Amino acid sequence: MMALALMSVGEKRKVASIHGKDEVVRHLQDMGFAPGAEVEVVGGNAGGMILLVKGTRIALDRGLASKILVA
Amino acid sequence: MAVIIALAGNPNSGKTTLFNALTGSNQYVGNWPGVTVEQKGGKLKGQSDVEIMDLPGIYSLSPYTLEEVVARKYLVEERPDAILNIVDGTNLERNLYLSTQLLELGIPVVLAINMMDLVKKNGDEINISKLSKELGCEVVEISALKGTGIKEATDAVVKAAKSGQSQRIVHKFDKTVESALEEIEGMLTGVKEDQKRYFAIKLFEGDEKISEQLKSMPDVSTVVKRVEDAMDDDAESIITNERYTYIASLMSKCYKKVNKGLTVSDRIDRIVTNRILALPIFVVIMFIVYYIAVSTIGTVVTDWTNDVLFGEWIQGGAESLLESVGASDWVISLVVDGILGGIAAPIGFAPQMAIVFFFLSILEDCGYMARVAFIMDRIFRRFGLSGRSFIPFLISSGCGVPGIMSTRTIENEKDRRMTMMTTCSIPCGAKLPVIALIAGYLLDGAWWLAPVMYFVGIAVVVISCIILKKMRAFAGDPAPFVIELPQYHVPSIKGVLMHVWERVWAFLKKAGTILFLCCVVMWFLASFGFSDGAFGLVETEDSLLRYIGGAIAWIFVPLGFGTWQAVASSLSGFVTKEGILSTMGVLAGLGEVEEYELSMHDQFAAFFPTGIAAVSFLIFNLFDSPCLAALSTMAKEIGGRKKFWFAVLFQNVSAYCLALVVYQIGGLILGEVAFGVGTVAAVIVLAGILYLLFRPDPNKKASNIAANAKQAA
Repeated sequence: MMALALMSVGEKRKVASIHGKDEVVRHLQDMGFAPGAEVEVVGGNAGGMILLVKGTRIALDRGLASKILVA
Repeated sequence: MAVIIALAGNPNSGKTTLFNALTGSNQYVGNWPGVTVEQKGGKLKGQSDVEIMDLPGIYSLSPYTLEEVVARKYLVEERPDAILNIVDGTNLERNLYLSTQLLELGIPVVLAINMMDLVKKNGDEINISKLSKELGCEVVEISALKGTGIKEATDAVVKAAKSGQSQRIVHKFDKTVESALEEIEGMLTGVKEDQKRYFAIKLFEGDEKISEQLKSMPDVSTVVKRVEDAMDDDAESIITNERYTYIASLMSKCYKKVNKGLTVSDRIDRIVTNRILALPIFVVIMFIVYYIAVSTIGTVVTDWTNDVLFGEWIQGGAESLLESVGASDWVISLVVDGILGGIAAPIGFAPQMAIVFFFLSILEDCGYMARVAFIMDRIFRRFGLSGRSFIPFLISSGCGVPGIMSTRTIENEKDRRMTMMTTCSIPCGAKLPVIALIAGYLLDGAWWLAPVMYFVGIAVVVISCIILKKMRAFAGDPAPFVIELPQYHVPSIKGVLMHVWERVWAFLKKAGTILFLCCVVMWFLASFGFSDGAFGLVETEDSLLRYIGGAIAWIFVPLGFGTWQAVASSLSGFVTKEGILSTMGVLAGLGEVEEYELSMHDQFAAFFPTGIAAVSFLIFNLFDSPCLAALSTMAKEIGGRKKFWFAVLFQNVSAYCLALVVYQIGGLILGEVAFGVGTVAAVIVLAGILYLLFRPDPNKKASNIAANAKQAA
């Protein structure tokens, strides 16, 4: 298991778990980051990353991305 | 029988496009999540007994941001007769997550799979009849943009609404969960049969806001605990997982996707969100927008409107017409100088405004907006906001009212309030003419003053935010940043033009009402007064306005524009920003209608003793509290009278301080202002601002002490 924030562009992994405040965890799950969902890093910069999850492109800041664990 | 149909779906799935097609209205459509922040109703075209309700987009029935609360409240409390669930076909899996929840409300649902043209173009296939059977509701294919399938969707949903039957629930959770839900349903009292499942699920999930909608809250903790122990997960995640598993099974049965590599959107994103290029690209885009609006095309159209249309035709024509019918002098003065002269100035700038709106709505419509929010997040985080706040700022460069409204998409309440307080510092369309005027007066119409003021506006926002963030009321980290990036598309010409027209029309309407009134009042105050002991038409020098302006002019003396004309113009700026120009026009144009700009130039020497005073005047009027319309929007949105007055006070005090510093210190450097008490005051204010800006964050210190204390213990 590792933090999503550490993935590099082009890498694909599955969401294992999400940590943080309840409402943020829920919102991320509602947007597609459910355990088991496949995420692919399609882009990013020093502050955030662009991810492909369940067919949608979602941008996250790196702080948040480090709270999502992937396997 | 009159029925109400609600349009519900994920953000940016095309609800408003469909709403416009169904009702024939022109609600604004943009390509970024969160365009619609309020519910909007309209009658179905050709069927006046059917009302359509457009709701803000939601990802689930557990709201995260304020506009999502609006949507859930409507669906659960107002209960429409049927729901037309708009699903983005290019993004079926995530969109169906909401559908599974809508189907549990008990309200009949019809699923409209939108953007079918794109799905087919990608070569993907959706088995509609199978999906319909699996979900237990009718499913239709539509393309809201192209207008296909809309008739079928409407017929189906109207039929469902009029049937009066409640939605059949086909989907079942895991057996353990299902038995727990049944148990909870049994505990519910005073809940209608068809709503029981929704409430049972929400109670199971431990939804915080559900108690507001239930008369009696049964204690479900033991039931929930039992399931959580059995499945080794928390209740909310259990439900989420169940939903996604169910959708995954639907997808494998009903959906065939052709896998493709990088899409065009991805390729564009590689460039515009690039580590190095992203910011320069954005800056260049904004410069181009203002360059075109203020210089090239903008000047040509504005000059024509000012000099030919108003100067020669309308004002000149009106004057000779009135003279020929023998109207009295004061009538001619009122109509020609007061009303036409006053309204001419801002209306002359309508073409420039239209150009700004044109470019802004292209930026909104193509999908770039959400990307800029992402690019800006890292920078905004430094001064205590998230990238989310960027969208209101960009919209405010068109108009502050929709800018303030769009803060609803910001999830964190403190971020929201800070954004609202500072967003009007970004020069709006109505302030553009004032900038252009000062540029014309001082710098021979230099085009770069507008973009420079735009970036000064950004600087004001940044400084204000850093200062505010260190106050206790705004302490805390900004909310984490998440935003969906929609696919780019070529903006629809019709949509863009409609938006431009709507904004320009709103502006013209304002010119015909508030601005008209403002002109008449200002003309009256500037033309009448006491002379030789009698009240009547007088020279401006003896007018009422002179005395009113003169009475409060002392406040603005330290800022350099303590002349009654400049003060009176600033006063009308508190009503509408266009009013600044109207009043200046009325005061400068009194008694003569010739070559418009030249005559104004000479008159302005009376307004501003020095060049730096004109700059100070511009600074104050750009960054003080916004127009009445924006103020009343802020009063409604900010949540409390105290917070509102704090915001107004903050805006005016900071504008005053900034103008003071610019005038006194800038003037001293340029040699236009002598060293004196004012300089000392300006230096003190500047030191104060710098202190507030660079002092260590007292909130962080407090939390560090608390953390250390905890460690010690």
